[in-house]
Amino acid sequence: MSLLEVSGVNKTFHGRHEPAISDVSFSLEAGGVLGLVGESGSGKSTTARCVAGLTRPEGGSVMLDGREVVGARRATMTTLRRDMQMVFQDPFSSLNPRMTVLDLVGEGMIVHGIERRPAARRDLVVEVLEKVGLDSSHLTRYPRSFSGGQRQRIAIARALAVSPRLLICDEPVSSLDVSVQAQVLNLLRDLREELGLAILFIAHDLAVVRYLCDSVAVMSRGRVVESGKRDAIFDSPQHPYTRSLLAAVPVPDPAVQRARQAEARRLLDEQRRAS
Amino acid sequence: MSAGNDVLLAVRDLRVSFGTGDAATEVVHGVDVTVARGQRLALVGESGSGKSVTARAVLQLDTDATLTGSVRLDGEELVGAAPRILRSVRGRRVGLVFQDPLTALNPVMRIGWQIMQPLLIRGVSKREARMRGIALLERLGVQNAPERFDDYPHQFSGGMRQRVVIAIAVIAEPDLLIADEPTTALDVQVQAQVLALLDEIADERGMGVLLITHDLGIVAGFAEHVTVMRHGAIIETQDVDSLFASPREAYTRGLLGAVPRIDGDSSVRLLSVDEIAVAPAGAAGAAAASAVAAASALADSDQGNPA
Amino acid sequence: MTSSRIDAIIGIRRRRVSRSRRRTPVLEGIAVVVGAIILIIAVIGPWIAPYSSTIVDIGNTLAPPSAAHWFGTDATGRDVFSRVLTGARTTLGATFIVLAVTIVIGVLVGTVAALVGGVVDEILMRVTDIGLALPSIILALGVAAALGPSLTSTVIAVSATWWPGYARLIRSVVREVREAEYVTNATSLGVGRLRLVFRHILPNALDPLYVQVSLDVSSVMLVISGLSFIGVGAQVPSAEWGASVASAAANVTTGWWALVFPGVAIAITGIAFNLIGDWLRIRTDVTLKGGAK
Repeated sequence: MSLLEVSGVNKTFHGRHEPAISDVSFSLEAGGVLGLVGESGSGKSTTARCVAGLTRPEGGSVMLDGREVVGARRATMTTLRRDMQMVFQDPFSSLNPRMTVLDLVGEGMIVHGIERRPAARRDLVVEVLEKVGLDSSHLTRYPRSFSGGQRQRIAIARALAVSPRLLICDEPVSSLDVSVQAQVLNLLRDLREELGLAILFIAHDLAVVRYLCDSVAVMSRGRVVESGKRDAIFDSPQHPYTRSLLAAVPVPDPAVQRARQAEARRLLDEQRRAS
Repeated sequence: MSAGNDVLLAVRDLRVSFGTGDAATEVVHGVDVTVARGQRLALVGESGSGKSVTARAVLQLDTDATLTGSVRLDGEELVGAAPRILRSVRGRRVGLVFQDPLTALNPVMRIGWQIMQPLLIRGVSKREARMRGIALLERLGVQNAPERFDDYPHQFSGGMRQRVVIAIAVIAEPDLLIADEPTTALDVQVQAQVLALLDEIADERGMGVLLITHDLGIVAGFAEHVTVMRHGAIIETQDVDSLFASPREAYTRGLLGAVPRIDGDSSVRLLSVDEIAVAPAGAAGAAAASAVAAASALADSDQGNPA
Repeated sequence: MTSSRIDAIIGIRRRRVSRSRRRTPVLEGIAVVVGAIILIIAVIGPWIAPYSSTIVDIGNTLAPPSAAHWFGTDATGRDVFSRVLTGARTTLGATFIVLAVTIVIGVLVGTVAALVGGVVDEILMRVTDIGLALPSIILALGVAAALGPSLTSTVIAVSATWWPGYARLIRSVVREVREAEYVTNATSLGVGRLRLVFRHILPNALDPLYVQVSLDVSSVMLVISGLSFIGVGAQVPSAEWGASVASAAANVTTGWWALVFPGVAIAITGIAFNLIGDWLRIRTDVTLKGGAK
């Protein structure tokens, strides 16, 4: 049985005609990394929030380790949240500006009763901070004195502090510089190896997904149009949307990019002549 | 006019600072940029590198910035030039494409009116300006251009708005186009279309393009020459093939090594700060030394810049 | 759009504004010092006053300012300087009681309305509307008629009309903060509702309140003094500033000092707290770079 089993999830927001997501299904094994890719408006963020229990879908089911997330009662949800943590996109707004690093990373431990004694908790917090490349000197500082990459690490530490089995990352590197993005991606890779963490990685950047994930689900207009193992998707995409998406992503290699652009132009001219 | 000189834009030792007196901070430290006629130059850097400030300084768009150095457009000096000269340059000899079409377009004016402006203020008749505007929109791939010409910005999608911005920028047939992160706010497929359009338009009109971006993939597909910037200074300048194949500086190497590729080998670890010190280099000695320097410097970019 | 992109777009504007914010706030600095002195006087006034503020001295009525009586004496021979010092406690004490009570009620009502929403929100907002519609003076007259004129009835009347403003303010700020990403983050961590409110929402929602309160000190003080001035508030022989001004009005041509000094005290206090409030508002305005992060 997979760690995460999502089936037939639908969500239509109030007052809208089109559903934000319809019939979304995928599964994730323990310790696996699934990339949920799509452009803006594809419904990937909505899906993530449904999985995390932050948004209630109209239909479908989300099973975390055999327990139903959709419609779970408050007490059950709190227990489920211990196993499933989320990292958000914007490091500048996802951390409470009035809490110190110690408060932020230790809060999960208080809330879930992992360690209520302040001294012992502090030690555990330092342990987690070290895992993400920070240290005890950061404990008493506030988020505003950190850079974007460091704040994301604090956010990851905050999530890891409760020892979840699944980490849902909603575009965690999209607003970071390239060099910093690399650090956070490597961190996630290392953590996954070290802790056997499963990761649901939402992104619009296909190159990042290729680097980090072992399976991919492509979303467009609220539906999953294609899913499968990473290499299958990248090397032999089946769905036309996936193909056009891959063709449009620029590759940082001039010769390769020139060839791809020429090919794209050729296809476009063919289309024009045909119509 | 300098005959036979095909240097369109020559920026020499440009320094830009903001604030006055004690609070003055220099943001760009003595930068040289050259764009030849009809050439594509990409100015690449991460946030805080000063690439945007440099590009905006060419047209002196930041009124609270203090400039020293030289910015010559077709031989004519712009630093310290009279406002009249700057006004005549903007829109007529240099076109500007901004990052966010949402704020670049005036939301309460019809897009057609905005497209016609660069021509109207130069004395072109309204009818002529309208004809040229519609033709340009059609060229840029906007369907039903004659009808859409009188629409408002909010009636267009992001990609369409960016085409409107491009139309405004090129309608007066400038020699140079400055595009500041023109596709950052767009979906990747729309991005590819817009870049292809920029490419074609620039080719057709023999325009030079100064493209500012942080995306190395875009650089690889668009630029002929590349200048890498960091912390307000130039790291290196090369033609695009040489830069990607054999970057001279450790920072550039680090940057290239940090970018994931869709055709990449995921078992090769992305370069991040700690690993920059041992980045593979051509020559051992000098490269290693500059690599260590770049490593601690790249470390700053993550440790040192809050917000 | 990420905040860094937004920053880039409004780059120019931000730089300009932050420059003017950095100029040394001399005026505000003075205001803070003056405000602090006034508050200290409010606390220790009665103890440092050279004379009693209530005991009359018929032999010495309407004496002009002199070495013995810095501010002169009033129509009943009381030392005006002492009355101003003692009155500080009365006036400002009443002001701060009103503010304290209205803050508590306002924050409670506003927070509950914003977080519970629905019918509760509607009901609370209608009650707030009623409160806003009542003019404090009319209500004060009514309460004075019912309970007899006194500082207490004024405090009650003013409080009743003042809390709705805070309730509305807090409600709109809490509604905004409720949607903040760090609140969603806390929810996904598993933080319960109570902790969410007290640890995440409220601490970040109260900034505008601090500013508003410091600006309101002078407004409330003026209302209270004003009501005392027209006779429905503090009664003779209270040294409350408004009442002092009222009782000195009849003899203003023969003894201007008895009216002017308490009046000036009101004015200076009002201006000082207004400047402080203004300065706080500029400092914490989050649209300016560097403001309350």
